[in-house]
Formats: sequence, C-alpha cells, structure tokens
Amino acid sequence: MRTIILILSFACLFISCSKEEEYTEINKSIDFQVPVNFPVLAQDIEHNWPTEKGFELGRKLFYDGRLSADNTISCSFCHEQASAFTHHGHDFSHGINDLVGVRNAPAVQNMAFQSEYFYDGASNSIEMLSIAPIHNPVEMNETLENVVLKLKQDPEYIRLFGVAFDNGEVSSGNVLKALGQFMTMMVSANSRYDKHVRNEPGGDFSQQEQYGMELFQQNCTVCHKTDLFTDSAFRNNGLPPNPNLNDLGRETVTGFAADRHKFKVPSLRNVELTAPYMHDGRFGSLQSVLNFYSSGLVDSATLDEELKHEGVLGIPLTQEEKEALIAFLKTLTDEEYINNSMFYYQT
Amino acid sequence: MKFQLKNTIAVLAFTTLFVSCSNDDDSSSVVEGTTGDVELYFDNGVAGDALILGNTYTNSNNESLTINRLNYIVSNIVLIKEDGTEFTYPKEESYFVISEEGDLLTVHLEGVPAGDYTKVKFGIGVDEQRYLQGESEQQSFWDLAAQYNLTWTWSTGYRFINFEGTYTSPAVEGEKTFQVHQGSNSAIDNYREVTLTLPTTARVREDEMPNIHLKTDANVILDGVNKIKLADNINEAQTGTAIMGGENLISIAENTLQMFAVDHVHNGSHTGHGE
Ligand code: HEC
Ligand code: HEC
Repeated sequence: MRTIILILSFACLFISCSKEEEYTEINKSIDFQVPVNFPVLAQDIEHNWPTEKGFELGRKLFYDGRLSADNTISCSFCHEQASAFTHHGHDFSHGINDLVGVRNAPAVQNMAFQSEYFYDGASNSIEMLSIAPIHNPVEMNETLENVVLKLKQDPEYIRLFGVAFDNGEVSSGNVLKALGQFMTMMVSANSRYDKHVRNEPGGDFSQQEQYGMELFQQNCTVCHKTDLFTDSAFRNNGLPPNPNLNDLGRETVTGFAADRHKFKVPSLRNVELTAPYMHDGRFGSLQSVLNFYSSGLVDSATLDEELKHEGVLGIPLTQEEKEALIAFLKTLTDEEYINNSMFYYQT
Repeated sequence: MKFQLKNTIAVLAFTTLFVSCSNDDDSSSVVEGTTGDVELYFDNGVAGDALILGNTYTNSNNESLTINRLNYIVSNIVLIKEDGTEFTYPKEESYFVISEEGDLLTVHLEGVPAGDYTKVKFGIGVDEQRYLQGESEQQSFWDLAAQYNLTWTWSTGYRFINFEGTYTSPAVEGEKTFQVHQGSNSAIDNYREVTLTLPTTARVREDEMPNIHLKTDANVILDGVNKIKLADNINEAQTGTAIMGGENLISIAENTLQMFAVDHVHNGSHTGHGE
C-alpha cells in the first residue's frame, strides 16, 4: 500500500512538473526473479525486459480475440489458465471456424527457460513465436500486419502501447514484444514439489510420492530434465505413428529424415491438469501414458537411445511403480500458478 | 594584364589536371570526421543474362526455369579500406530487402566515414544472433520482409531468398511449379557472409557518393558448386517442387557464396550533402 501511495505521489509530482501539462503514466521494469531451483534463462530477455505496462498489455493481447481473423479466437481460447494454459479436453485444438489442428496445445509456462517452442521447434524465440498461432489457418488465420491495423482503431490500445514502449507505437514488433513479456512472467515454480526441493513449508511428501520421485529420477529425468522437466530437445519416445496424421514432427521444420517422429520433450509441470497427453493428445490419462512407456513402444530408426536398453524397449514398470510415479507427477501441480490473478485478464 | 591572363591559364590548366587526375585516383583529400553516402545497386541476372521475370532459361541441370520471383535479404554491411580497417554499418539499420518484382534494387547507406574503400562485405539473410534478439532489435524489418514474401509464418523465421516460378525437366511430365525458400531453422544456421573486392576504389566524401554496382546471379542458387535438380525434389503429388528445408538448404547456402560479384563502381555522384 505504501509503495502505491509513493508511486502515486511521485506520479502527481511528475505530472505537475511536466511543462507540456500532459498526463504521463509511469512504466516500471518488473523485478523478474529466477526461481532458485531453476536453471538459467534460455532466452535473452535483456532486450525485452518485462515492465508493468508491457506485461499488462501482453496480457490484454493474450485474451483478445482481435488477434484472429474473425475476432473470436484469442490465445486464451486454446490456452486456459485453469488447465495450465492448455486447451482443456481437446486432443486437437480447434480454432477459427471450428477448424481442427493436428496437434494438442501444450502448457504455456516457464517459456523463457526454454530454447525451443512447439512440438517441432517451429520457433526458438519467445518474441517471435506468436507469429505462428496468429498466422496458422486453423488457429487464428490472421496476419500480424492486420492485427496492428485493428488495434490502431482502439484508443485504449493506443494509450497502452504509448506507455508500455519507448517508441510508443502500435506496431507488429511491439505486439510480439508485449506477448513475449507476458509469457516471460508466466512462471510456475510453486508446486508442492518445488517446496519440497527448496525445503519450504508445505513441501511434505508421502512415502509413495517419495518413491515415485526416485523412480522418476531413475527413468525419466534423462529427457524430462531439471526442474523444468524438459531439456527442450527433440526426441522420439516410441509412440506408434498415427497414419491418419502422418505428423513427421521435427522433420517438418528441419527437413532431415534423422528427425522423423521426434517431438519436443514436454515439461511435466502441472501435468495432472493437461490431459490429454502427447503431441496428438492420444492418451486420456497418466495411467495410459505409463502403460505406453512400459509396454507400448515401437522401435524405429529414430527411437531414442535412452528407451532401448539391452534389447528391452521402453521402461518396464509394475502397477505399484506406475501408481507411485503418478502420485509424484501430481506433486507438480502448482495451484498458485493456475489461480494467480496476475494472469487473468481484468477489465 | 597579359601577365594576369597567363596566370589564369596556368591556374586553369592546373585545375584541369587536378580534376582529371582525381577521377581515377584518390587524391581528393579525406576530411577527418566527415561522412558521406554509399549506394549498392543489385543488378539481378541469370548466368550472365538479365533476369526478366516470366522469361525462361535453361540451366546446366538441363531444367528450364521460368522465374516469377526473386526476392532476398542482404544485411550487416561492412565497408573495408585498403589497410583492412572496417566500417560496420549500424546493425539496427543494416537489413535490406532486394526485390525484382518490387523494383527494390538499391541499398542506400548514410553516415559512412569519408575514405577510400576497397572491399564490401555483407550477409545473405538474417543472422542467428539478431534473430534471437527478437523483434526489439529487428525493429520493423519483419513488416518489410513480410511485404516481400520473405517471412515464414508457420514457423517463425525469415526467408533469406524467395526464388519461385515454374519449370520443365526431361525427368518430369509437363510444367511444374517450384519454390525455393532459403533460410535458417532452429537446427541449422544458413546465414552466410560474402566479401567482395571492388574493381575500383569506392570514394566516400561529404559530397561524393560511390555507387557500387553488383551483379547477382540467380542461376547459382540451384546450379552452382552444388547441383540441385528440381525434378529430384518433386512432391509426392507430382505437382511441384518446394525446397524449404533439409540438406538442400545447406547446399544452397554454399552456392550463394558465388551469387554476387561487384561489376563496377561509379565514383563522384553528388549527394548534395556538402552544399
Ligand atoms: C486454436 C488453438 C490455439 C490458439 C488460438 C493459440 N494456440 Fe498456442 N498452441 C496451440 C497448439 C495446438 C500448440 C502446439 C502446436 C505445435 O506444437 O505445433 C500451441 C503451442 C504454443 C506454444 C508452445 C509451447 C511449447 O511448450 O512449446 C506457445 C508458447 C503458445 N502456443 C502460445 C500461444 C500464443 C501466445 C497464442 C496467441 C497469439 C496462441 N498460442 C494461440 C493452440 C493454440
Ligand atoms: C527418451 C526420452 C524420454 C524419456 C526417457 C521419457 N520421456 Fe516422457 N516424453 C518424451 C517425449 C519426446 C514426449 C513427447 C512425445 C510426443 O508428444 O510425441 C514425452 C511425453 C510425456 C508425457 C506427456 C506430456 C504431455 O503433456 O503431453 C508424459 C506424461 C511423460 N512423457 C512422462 C514420462 C515419464 C513418467 C517418464 C519416465 C517413466 C518419461 N516420460 C520418460 C520423452 C521421454
């Protein structure tokens, strides 16, 4: 409260001082902290450090249907906070005109700590990535240039861009930057697991969860690495290809046959909330995912080495072990993140 | 009077000498701290002929190409003096689109320190470093590139070269389309730089702007040190060839190292800055 008053009085001072007598809003940079149990940032955010106004503008854009051709589909349509910014209940996200895509919407969280985006790595820049959904014909089917034309009609946006950026312009660059700032701030690091590893109150594990964590470390962390639970690498985890989709994964982007059926290792944070699972949303439950890892893999030229040990495909697991793993995965649910009002759009 | 006239003649003769000399050497002095302009003109061609959109030519792969589009990005321009000192054009201003269809063929540089330059270096495309710094550093270049079909939107990168048209080949039946979209992706960096020697020194003065006339050979994109046959890359439906990824892009990157040459330099254009 005190700081607010301070800021307010400072703002008044500033206004009365300014000779032009124009109202000047103050934008402050946000004290962005890397959670202690996290690896270093993977994105260079120096050039687009989040500010209060830039973040707010990014949030407004994330929730705004005008980013789509018919003004109905916002980013939040497919990335809902309550399900860790995934498209709840959809194997394939449907977008504009109810057209259906071929991939499942992954969680949007801890993006600045990742070096690759989308299942095939179609983007590797937190600022540029929004270009893909905006232009995708089955998602928003819009163009960045046209989004800017629409936003320029709105005095509220003109004001917001004016305070959020030094050059004050409603421009495609600033749209991308604002969305980048919003996503930079979307950090999920307060699950029970985080408290457990940071020795904070509220971090107690049951025996089963503890056992699950050990199993996870033995079998899964080679790919679902660090406290991000991904290494941002592209790997083939042995899913039988779906012939109706013929999704080549990473090869779509690189054109290399060696990348066939490799997909970005997804983070498992909030995984309890992000069903269905895998790039095509084929599994409805974590039990099915673990059944797959223990007995559903198919071998292929690009199957990851880590899943082929001494001629054994996959990760043999008993039902008891699967249950322990699931219990552990549920400790990754971050209630603070999905309920954080900072990430709602408030009018 | 006579004496005066003689003097005048002498002065005139001297000046004429001076002027004619300064046309081909660099005796006009460089005033320290002054700057001038430079122009690079990209004259698009194919294997020694002028590039005329819609015209057909046959390459050494025995394929006949009708080129409908040749757009590309040049960037990170550096001018180099005889003694090796380099002037790097400010990075945030150093991204340009060259487009045959858009008649956008000139790169205009300002604020270049006065001096005599013997080499020019530039990049083909957008370097990874700049790309990863995101929009904040690329300014509005994205919009310009998008306008000339030099962006990818399903993934988020720049097309360094957009080379499109139709072709016929003994290996396929009838006319097919081709699209060559050169660029980087998050697995391979296909940005390349070339350094070209100028046949004549480019003289930059406050009131003199050199025009560096380059010849671009679109043929080498597919028919350079590496040979890429469009017919070998035809899609499953046999309707056309789209080269947008994989090993081909690495081969093209190597080919494009031979895509540019400086044909000649015009010195002495007046820019009006000194007046
Ligand atoms: C129609 C549904 C839809 C809309 C609208 C949509 N997305 Fe997505 N999003 C997806 C799908 C599906 C994927 C996975 C696509 C893929 O991997 O190819 C995805 C992936 C992502 C990712 C990558 C996450 C990762 O871990 O790699 C980010 C970030 C993202 N979207 C942000 C956005 C933003 C920002 C917007 C608005 C500009 C947006 N999305 C609009 C469905 C959507
Ligand atoms: C060889 C690397 C590798 C190993 C080891 C591995 N995974 Fe995965 N995992 C992946 C990849 C790659 C995907 C995404 C595959 C896809 O969508 O095509 C994935 C997907 C998942 C998903 C789906 C997430 C979502 O949001 O859709 C879950 C859950 C999962 N893995 C759990 C585990 C568990 C538990 C273990 C250990 C028993 C494990 N994984 C071991 C690479 C691996």
